[in-house]
Amino acid sequence: MEQPAEQSPVPIPATDSGEFRPAGSDRVNRTRKLLFRRMLVGIKDGRFFLGSFYCMDKQGNIILQDSMEYRSTRRSSPSPMEQRCLGLILIPSSCRTSCHVDCSVEEQLSLLSLSEK
Amino acid sequence: MAEMRTDEAAFGVAISGRTSIPSGENSVWADVSPLLEAACEDLQEGELIHGDNFNLFAAMSALEIMDPKMDSGIVCTYYSLEEAIENGAAPVPISVDKTTDIRCTIDIMDHLLACEATWHKGHSLAQTVYSCLYLLRPERTLSHALLHAYCKVIHVTCKAVLSVVSDARTHEEEDLFTMAYGLPLGGGDRDERCLSMLNAVEETISRQLRACKASSSKRRLLEDIEPLQSNPDLEEGYCRALLCRLRFRKHFYHLLMSMKRPQGRGLELARKHIASCILELDGCLKSSEFLRASAHGMCEKNIQDTTASGCQAIGFDASLNCRLSAPTPPRSIKILSWVKAIEYFLKLLRDLDIVCSYSLVPSLEAALHFVIKFQKSQPDLVARSHLQLLLVQDGKLYGQIPIFAVITGAAGLPEVTNDHDIQKNEFVVQLGQLVINLLKILCTNAAWQRRKLGKMLQDWRVTYVQLELAFKNEFGEGSKPSNNELRFKIFQQILMWVEEQTYWIASRFLILGFELELYSVHDYYMVYWYIYAILIKLAEKTHLRIVMNNSTAKKKAKKKRDSFKDAGRDYQISAAVLFLQSQIYLAEGLSMMFAALRNEHIILAPQGPFNTEHEIFIQQFELLQKACLPDHVSYMSFKESTKLVNFSTLAMCDYFKEAQRIAKDVKSSFANDPDKMAELRRVEQVAEHNNIALNVICRVGAIDPSLKVTFEFSHHPFFATAIVKRS
Repeated sequence: MEQPAEQSPVPIPATDSGEFRPAGSDRVNRTRKLLFRRMLVGIKDGRFFLGSFYCMDKQGNIILQDSMEYRSTRRSSPSPMEQRCLGLILIPSSCRTSCHVDCSVEEQLSLLSLSEK
Repeated sequence: MAEMRTDEAAFGVAISGRTSIPSGENSVWADVSPLLEAACEDLQEGELIHGDNFNLFAAMSALEIMDPKMDSGIVCTYYSLEEAIENGAAPVPISVDKTTDIRCTIDIMDHLLACEATWHKGHSLAQTVYSCLYLLRPERTLSHALLHAYCKVIHVTCKAVLSVVSDARTHEEEDLFTMAYGLPLGGGDRDERCLSMLNAVEETISRQLRACKASSSKRRLLEDIEPLQSNPDLEEGYCRALLCRLRFRKHFYHLLMSMKRPQGRGLELARKHIASCILELDGCLKSSEFLRASAHGMCEKNIQDTTASGCQAIGFDASLNCRLSAPTPPRSIKILSWVKAIEYFLKLLRDLDIVCSYSLVPSLEAALHFVIKFQKSQPDLVARSHLQLLLVQDGKLYGQIPIFAVITGAAGLPEVTNDHDIQKNEFVVQLGQLVINLLKILCTNAAWQRRKLGKMLQDWRVTYVQLELAFKNEFGEGSKPSNNELRFKIFQQILMWVEEQTYWIASRFLILGFELELYSVHDYYMVYWYIYAILIKLAEKTHLRIVMNNSTAKKKAKKKRDSFKDAGRDYQISAAVLFLQSQIYLAEGLSMMFAALRNEHIILAPQGPFNTEHEIFIQQFELLQKACLPDHVSYMSFKESTKLVNFSTLAMCDYFKEAQRIAKDVKSSFANDPDKMAELRRVEQVAEHNNIALNVICRVGAIDPSLKVTFEFSHHPFFATAIVKRS
């Protein structure tokens, strides 16, 4: 990560309950709630990475833990996919094309409504 | 991973339709990109979103995706081998035009040779030889007899080389060499078939060559032979170019197979194949001119020059199986040029020829000297592996001589001892293992070798102490039982030999430091001092062993008939010891000269803030000190013997003159040993030059501050020659 090692100035809630609200914005807190969720990131060259959301910085670089790499065997769709384990990876925001998290349908609606605000 | 769900709508929501990565049970993939983007805007500079378990140190080790130095999975041109093939990256036939097809086939052969040499130099097989798409799908080339036969022989050759190197385990530094997961290597009964295919193709082409050279009258008889390609002007050139390439592969494969035969039985045959290989490689080089001319302007320029024609070879893509070399990060590999590859193979063949020319002399000393001499030409991994497999097979020397017999032979014991019970003693067994390890280590590259030798010294030392203890327990102090005289004798002489061998290893360890350039000029005086201390011990042990052997031999001779000639021989110093003595004088002289230069401030010791002289001493000789080689030698004793040296005292001790004199005298004893003769000549030269330099320094050193003394290794690989200049 290119970010300096300095501690986040915002206190981080220990649980998802969000009982003690920090001073950070609502959007940051919402994102914080996504930590440790299964996240699927697509990148420019067509590969996808699936891992648990570990960290994100201001520039939008994402670190995933215990990640798997998925790649199609063909450029043309649809095709079978190859996969392999990669572990801890850093996906620079510059090559990210899509980003999804695994959630229930109700949650999806709330996430969408929030992002439209 | 959650199990695949049948309801496509549930997970197809988010991802562009063509992927099938399932989300969890009763859940969907929700697009969070807008949320993340918004969060980034709100984050402050340097602020991170992370959980309690966040560890910056761990985060630093994350693999960066799309970084060419870290991400081996970057999709370059094609998503998969199948896609590459479907897109025509490796067509069969390569071209419908027969002439183009042949031209391209030759390019593929040449590029494969370059890849093979690059692999031998220590790169991964997946990214060199197996960057060839034809090799990755062997069944596809079935209809193209020529290409198919060539690919097959490459498969089996790679497998053979791989097995030699991994059996010998000489590849420690070149750790990528033996990685071959997931690659279709040759194997089993198919290996034999590859040769018959190769022979059939060769036969066809040599008939085509004969046909195109035949005069028109004969041509009618040969009319049923279809030409190799469509352009009659190029027929002969292409036939020749192909033949030398095919024949090289055939002989190279035969060579590997002959060298594999147990107990060196195939060495003579192997030499014949080496000669043929060299001949065919020469043919390949000569074909270059024709190939360049005929391919002129017909193809994409080959920037790396990996083919004889200068064309880019078709059907190679190293990025496709880059992921097979994981878990290592991807490495950029520069494939050797074709000319360099041929040079590599010529050197490999010459090195293998040296291995094959060895006459398997049944003595450890001979074997050790052979390896050391062989290593001087800095042979590559493959040649070294072959030598090692020849030396040690089934735990025996050359696969023939049991290691206990090797030890008794080296210790100078008569052959009757070869089957003695004592070989079952656990420490003797341990010693046998050490001898085998020593032989193996000497076949590795210089850096690895030195490290391993240094560590091994302690094992030798411990084994010596254990053997000595066992000896004392059995025979008690001083008493020599008459009933088991032979057992006593074996113990005694093996003990002596173990000490001698340990000092030999120590001297090799020190000398390798010069080859690896581990010593600075300022360390020389302690290095030579240590070499001197080790050589003295080595000479002492060698002398004792020789005296003891002689007395044994003499007793035997006396039993048969009286011998007058032997009288007084015990007191003579043998040639082997004198040989060492010349080196001892030289080492001592150099160490004293360096000490005097320091003490009289002609060479100034560096005033570094980090290491004191004592620390450097420990760093250089820690492994020797740990093994007590020699006993009672320490930094103190070193300091003691060098601190008072100056040029006026040095002038009185003629170290160099002595070295020169002994070297000259002892030469006559080694008339039949060209290696020892050459070494003596070198010693003589260094001694002579240093003697002159020393005289000059003694005369003018103290009064002329402009005097500059430098050192070089022009006459000897590790005994420096002093050069005196006025600046």
